[in-house]
Order: sequence, then C-alpha cells, then structure tokens
Amino acid sequence: MTTLLISLLGSFTTPMRISTDPASILWLLPLVATIAIVYKTTKVGSMRLWSFTRETAALFGSILVFIVAAALILYGVAWIVTGQLPALLDSSTF
Amino acid sequence: MGQSWKENHALYLTVVGAAAWLVPGGGHYVLNEKRRAVVILVMVALTFLMGLYVGSIGVIDSINAKPWYAAQVMNSPVVMILGSHVAGVQYEAQKALTEGEKPEIAPYLVFGRANEIGQIYTSVAGLLNLLCIVNAIYVAHQRSLEGVRA
Repeated sequence: MTTLLISLLGSFTTPMRISTDPASILWLLPLVATIAIVYKTTKVGSMRLWSFTRETAALFGSILVFIVAAALILYGVAWIVTGQLPALLDSSTF
Repeated sequence: MGQSWKENHALYLTVVGAAAWLVPGGGHYVLNEKRRAVVILVMVALTFLMGLYVGSIGVIDSINAKPWYAAQVMNSPVVMILGSHVAGVQYEAQKALTEGEKPEIAPYLVFGRANEIGQIYTSVAGLLNLLCIVNAIYVAHQRSLEGVRA
C-alpha cells in the first residue's frame, strides 16, 4: 500500500514525455470537454442528465468547429505569407 | 436593521466565496446545489491533476511563471503550499550548486511541450474554478435579494 502510494505520488514529480507531432494537438480535447462541462454546470437552470448532456455536447462541438475554422484561416494566412507572397514580390517590377 | 442585513449579507457572500475557493464546488455545496458541486469538484480536480501528471509539480512555478501561478492559485489554497514547496526545493538546489555541493533533492525541472500542457491544464482548471466562485457568489446574492423581497 505504501509502495503504491509512493509510486503514485512519485509519478507527479517527473514530467511526461510528449512529442511535438500533430497528434499532440489531441491534448486539446479533454480541455475543451472540461470547459464545456464546467461552463454548462454554472449556466443550466436544472441539472437534468439529458438536457445537460445535450447542451454540453453542443458547446463542445461548437468550440471544436471554431477552433478548426481558426486553424484553417491561420494556415491559409501562413501559406500566403510564406509560400505565395515571396514569389509574388520576386516577380514584381517594384 | 438595514445595516445588520448588509453586514450579514456581505459575510454570507464571503463564506460562499471562501468555500468555493477552499474546495472546488464548495460554494455550490453551501448553496445546496449538490449535483453542480460534485460535477465542478470532479472536473476541476481531474483537470488540475491531469496537468500535474503531465508536467509534474514543477509547472507550479511561483518565481519564473507568475501569471500562470496566479491562475493556478484559483484552484485552491493548497496550490500555494505546493508552490512554496517547489520554490523551496529550487532555492535549496541553487544554493547547493553555488556552494559546489550536490543538492539533496533535485529541483522539479520541466521544459517543452510537457511544461506547456501542464501549465495550460492547471491554469485553465484554476480559471474555471474562478468562474464557479463568481457564479456561486452571484447565486447567493440573488437568493438573498429574493429572500428580502419576499
């Protein structure tokens, strides 16, 4: 029991190894779920399972949609600035 | 009478706010909103612990990451104890190194993506708890006003 407790506490003293690959973006999902659940907990009139789940799922989905939209816009801006704009400036008469 | 009500009202709101800060969901528990209290406690605690597990307790850095620390402290006063422990270990290790000795306990160093995710998780948990503190105080205030009107 003591060994288990010590190893459990010890796991909080060394950081995890997380790579910087695209899959690490998935760390976003639990955070978005928490934000949606806690926010809806403070907002819904009554804590009924079905209505609470439905409203939380709607908020979770809309946050994800807006994040994906923001990511696509930023990707497009980066693509224009780093890929298209230098070529355009090189061929410019100015 | 009016002054007494105002004093009691302020004390009541302070108690609700303090309970919400001491234990996530405590404010809603005091207001007899037990389901909300349980959901808040579970979600805030889980997110905070996940952040600590990912980045280690080194992400609670009261010296080099003050803005993050300010958000983390909103979780509970317990974070201050953790922060002072981390800062103490860091201070002792630095002192030992300047004296040319090996530190007894290695400082909790964390860098890179683990540090980022750990800080984000623990700070977002704190900010969500701040939202719950404000909400609990607001609900307590509304109920008091309704009680006076009735």
